[in-house]
Amino acid sequence: PGLTAAVSPRSMKSPAVVGVLCTDSQGLNLGCRGTLSDEHAGVISVLAQQAAKLTSDPTDTPVVCLESDSGNIMIQKHDSITVAVHKLAS
Amino acid sequence: CGGARADSPLPFPQEEETKRLLEPAASPPNKVLNGAEQSYHNLPSARTDEQAMLSSILAKTAINIIDVSAADSQGMEQHEYMDRARQYSTRLAMLSNNLTHWKKLPLLPSLTNQPHQVLASDPVPFADLQQVSRIAAYAFSALSQIRVDAKEELVVQFGIP
Repeated sequence: PGLTAAVSPRSMKSPAVVGVLCTDSQGLNLGCRGTLSDEHAGVISVLAQQAAKLTSDPTDTPVVCLESDSGNIMIQKHDSITVAVHKLAS
Repeated sequence: CGGARADSPLPFPQEEETKRLLEPAASPPNKVLNGAEQSYHNLPSARTDEQAMLSSILAKTAINIIDVSAADSQGMEQHEYMDRARQYSTRLAMLSNNLTHWKKLPLLPSLTNQPHQVLASDPVPFADLQQVSRIAAYAFSALSQIRVDAKEELVVQFGIP
C-alpha cells in the first residue's frame, strides 16, 4: 500500500500531474497511473541510467526532463528505482 | 554448368552441391561407418542400438548438408554472368515490392513545432523538480519496506505411514 500511495493518488492530487510511473533498474514497471504505462517503463529506466553517466558524483542524480509544448515528463532515479512524472504545462 | 530450368526459380549450377554426402543407409548401420570392423556383428544389442541411433543421426544430418566445397565452378562466360545477375536483381526487386510495410519506418513523434520557443521559454520550475525528487524518495522508501511475512512453514512432511 505504501508504494501505491506514493505513486498515486498523492502525486496525482497535484492538479497538473497526469501521469506517474515507477520502474526498477531493468525497466520493470512497478506501478503507474495516467498517461504513463507499461510500454514507457523501459525507456524511462534507460534514460535515467544514461543521464547518470554525465556526472561522476553518485550523489548528484540528474532529473531528466522531456519538455514539450503541452507539458514535461520528469524522470529521476533514486537508488534502484526510477520515477517519472508527467505534468501538464500550467 | 547445368543451365537454367524453366520450373526452378534460381538455377543450381552443379549437381555435386546437392549430392548426398552419405549414401542412404539401406543396409545395416555398421556398413555406413568408415572402417567399421566386422566385430560389430558380435556386439551385444545395446551397443548396436546406440550405434544405430548415432548413424541414423549422422545420416539425417548428412542428407540436409549441401557440400559447397564439392561445387565445381567451370566458369561462366561474361554474358551468362550478366544475364544471371540481371535475373537475380529483377527477382529481388519483385520481392521487395511486396514488402512495402517494412519501408514505412515509424517517424519519431513531434513534440513541438517551435523548438526555439520551447528552448527559450522558462526552464522547468524548480518546484516541479523538487516534487519529483520527493515522489522518487517516497517511492523508494515504500519499496524498501516491502518484505515477506512468513505465516507458515514452506516445507512440510506428508503424513505417509
